[in-house]
Amino acid sequence: MIKNNLSTIIITVITATMGVIAAVSFGKMHHPEELFPSEGLTGKVMLSDYFEGIKGTNGDTEVYLFDSGVEGGTALVCGGAHPNEAASFLSAVVILENLRVTCGRVFIIPRLNNSAFTCSDPMEGFPASYEIPTKYGTRRFRLGSRVTNPLDQWPDPLVFSQYPSNQQLSGFETRNINRSYPGRADGNLTERIAYAIVQLIEKEKVNIAFDIHESSPEVPIVNVIVYHENYEEVAMGAILGLEMAGLQFSPETSPKNFHGLSHREWGDYTNAIPFLMETSNPSMGRLRGRTDVDLVLRGYCDNYKKAKETGALRIAYREDTGEPIAHRVGRHIAGVVELINSYNLYYPDMQIVIENLPDYDMIMEKGVGEFLNN
Amino acid sequence: MKTRIATYVTITILFLAGTSLLAQKFEQPVLISSAGQSADVKLVKMLAQRQGLNATTVLMAKPEDLTGFKTLVIVPGFSSKGLGAAGISQQDELERVQSLIKAANDLKIPIVLMHIGGNARRQGQSDSFNQLVADNSKFMLVVKQGDEDGFFTKIAGARNIPLTLVEKIAETAEPLGNLFK
Repeated sequence: MIKNNLSTIIITVITATMGVIAAVSFGKMHHPEELFPSEGLTGKVMLSDYFEGIKGTNGDTEVYLFDSGVEGGTALVCGGAHPNEAASFLSAVVILENLRVTCGRVFIIPRLNNSAFTCSDPMEGFPASYEIPTKYGTRRFRLGSRVTNPLDQWPDPLVFSQYPSNQQLSGFETRNINRSYPGRADGNLTERIAYAIVQLIEKEKVNIAFDIHESSPEVPIVNVIVYHENYEEVAMGAILGLEMAGLQFSPETSPKNFHGLSHREWGDYTNAIPFLMETSNPSMGRLRGRTDVDLVLRGYCDNYKKAKETGALRIAYREDTGEPIAHRVGRHIAGVVELINSYNLYYPDMQIVIENLPDYDMIMEKGVGEFLNN
Repeated sequence: MKTRIATYVTITILFLAGTSLLAQKFEQPVLISSAGQSADVKLVKMLAQRQGLNATTVLMAKPEDLTGFKTLVIVPGFSSKGLGAAGISQQDELERVQSLIKAANDLKIPIVLMHIGGNARRQGQSDSFNQLVADNSKFMLVVKQGDEDGFFTKIAGARNIPLTLVEKIAETAEPLGNLFK
């Protein structure tokens, strides 16, 4: 009997073993990485404190507060809107773990779409996590999905009708937080998270808000600062300042007729001055080769080198060095700092003064890990 | 006799040199517009303000907007977000720019090209706008990164158009101001 079914038993055992290993590995996606805020931290709440409708869901997330105690403006820094964009999350973490605020307040949400950190994008072959060496040992970070976990929000409609614009988008985008603003209290989970963020901006009277992103090198909107048309001067001042520091950012106006995005709806529905920044991440592009941790962190890909050399497309890719994580995080942090500097020039009565963040050259020289705590 | 000829030659050279210098001077008021709807035009607007120029910015200027202006500054560079914001297609934009340039040429309003977007506004969909404006310009002010392959230098050489290359966007302000002094 056993002999007759030996092959069946062996295949079953192997399959079960692989299933258990995969389940354990995938289960780790539900274990958030520990973060170590700087000594400047004065408070930590949950996003559900601003809207109960996400309490007890995977959409709830930590909100960190740095309050100088000196009257001034309020900034909000958001990473992890799309957790497959490593530099988005890491930039917020580096700011969280180094920041000192001497005037005004800064809120930081490192995992803006917390649910999307608990899964990866199917059929993309992304690694589930990556590790960064630090002074205190290696730290592991999850590489999640662009959109909310389907276990938390399912099924997708065939066509997503964005609220309240009724703009028609692909059904998949219904789980994209950056198509869901301003959100709604009785909407799906992603819309409720978006609604909670807008409530935070309103309640805390946020003056300037950052949404940090990455995109494929072949996408036209890369290495940019996207700004709301009402706040053009702040963006332009920052771009000139960044250029003086050797960092080129292209200005992009938020399209008035493209709805659900932070740079559009935060500007339209709140008093915050919104900015969205994008860096070039070859691990996200359609032309990429093997998608592994090395590509995510080193950002070097021969396919993009060849594509750029053809000149057929505009490719935001540096042939010699690639787009390493230090470069991407360094650009984002420099962007946040320079935009706040520019904001301070235009709004001197609502100053926000931040200190102790590493500049681009420091991050490039020492690596991101040098600025992570433990 | 020889002295007289030498004097005539010297005066002629000085006159031509002076004419050449004058050819690079432009008059105000200035209309600033985009070709491709990149937000770089907003930076040029800011730089023109800082130089105290009598300048008006119209992102999607049409031939009738040229009335009363003596110089047209065009900032080329494609932006899908910019075109999306304007609610037009790339072809619509190309046709608008073509008609604007034709009207400027008909009215003898000189065109100054300002390319400040570096390699982010080169190749791909940007170069059709870059080529069109460069071919019709009387002066080009370009941030060097946008000319790494000599794109603007070649056009300037072939068409005898004065070209100033600068390292940074901020460095375009002074030569821009000097065009009108």
